[in-house]
Amino acid sequence: MTDIREHQLSTDGNETRSNADILRQELSDEINRLNRFSVRGILALSLFLVVSLLAWRGFFFLPAPDTVTAFLGKPPSARIIGIVLLIYTFSALILSLSRMTAGVEHRSSFSHVGYLTAFFLFYYFGKSLEDNYWAVFGAGITILGVESYRIWAFCSEGIAKNREDIAYVTRTGRPPPQE
Amino acid sequence: MFATLVGKALVPVGLAVTGFMVVCCLILYSVIREDLHRGEIVHASNLADTILKSARYAMHNSDREMLATIIRNVGGQKGVDHVRIFNKRGIVTFSATAGELNRQVDKHAEGCIVCHRGTVPVTTLGTMEQARSFINSHGMGVMAITTPIYNEPECSSAACHVHLPEQKILGTLDIGLSRTELEKSLAMLRIEMLIFTVMSLILTIGGVTALLRRNVFLPLQRLRHYVELSAEDDDFPEPPPHLPHDLDIIATSYYNAKKDSVGSRRNSESIDVVNTEHGV
Repeated sequence: MTDIREHQLSTDGNETRSNADILRQELSDEINRLNRFSVRGILALSLFLVVSLLAWRGFFFLPAPDTVTAFLGKPPSARIIGIVLLIYTFSALILSLSRMTAGVEHRSSFSHVGYLTAFFLFYYFGKSLEDNYWAVFGAGITILGVESYRIWAFCSEGIAKNREDIAYVTRTGRPPPQE
Repeated sequence: MFATLVGKALVPVGLAVTGFMVVCCLILYSVIREDLHRGEIVHASNLADTILKSARYAMHNSDREMLATIIRNVGGQKGVDHVRIFNKRGIVTFSATAGELNRQVDKHAEGCIVCHRGTVPVTTLGTMEQARSFINSHGMGVMAITTPIYNEPECSSAACHVHLPEQKILGTLDIGLSRTELEKSLAMLRIEMLIFTVMSLILTIGGVTALLRRNVFLPLQRLRHYVELSAEDDDFPEPPPHLPHDLDIIATSYYNAKKDSVGSRRNSESIDVVNTEHGV
């Protein structure tokens, strides 16, 4: 009888240790995932810089604006594109700051690179890229800068919390209390 | 810097506000420049029309001396870079600059190619298409407009020098206006916008910092000092007065918890002392 109880306790102990190991492994995996995710903003910013460089060189690999406008029709005026760019920048910043406040994990950085590239292209086909290059560049740096900071802050907090949880699991062998 | 409360509060706000203001200024500058450029073209176009209307009588009478005087006088006006009239073959027949007379221009040159791109020259162009900008030989920015001189019934039926009625365009008037004043205004606008952006930025960052310091950081600092002081000594003071509501709740809770803890410890110590005295 005593043997059976000791065997059961030992099994329970092993099971608890095994659960703790699994939990630690899961938390470590989460830290690794957050570490990878934290550079997402910087990667998007780098991609935007590459696109900006191509725009600075006048999109030399694209067909001439006249060729494309002859096929697609007249592009919107620079003034309309400017107004849309302003509204987009405002909305993107408000959205990013709201996500920062709510602590939401959102992978939106690369979509912003797409939108900003579209603005470069609209200006290029409207033959006003030279006059409006810095406006799009400034908008891109601002939006992606705030997004990078948001993602980095979110990941830093997540990593710190997961490290604390690992320490708790190691100390107690139990899952950390949920907030 | 990013780990502190100040950094966390100020970096995103500063970045978002600065960036948005810069983008606004750049777009606004671009729009204003475009408007000024458009106005400049309209002004040059009106001036060209005025010259053509003034010269009409001289042309009808084939009064070359009067036409040359008109062109010279307009060309001598401040802010006018050049005024010239080309005939149909592209030869300068009248010009404010004497050295240009009888020179032929290349039809593929900037300002000519717009109409002479195809085999048949374009005879009508919008005002905006007639304009071109370039830097002249003195390094000065010039905005020029080329206006066609159309054949009219009075021209083809005049007794002096008859043009055929089928001939649509008799020549072109080319007038160039200096962009120096416009560029000065734009440079001033750039400086003003820069100053405005920097001032707004300082005001925003300063305002946010002042409010955060007054309402968050200083009360937090008082709370931290209170907690540090209470941790060292059993005769801990009352929570600091005039804390913001949220921090006051924390301070009061801490005070009550600490009071309970010290009270229970003192009780257990007094029981221990009594027990020792009675030899229990």
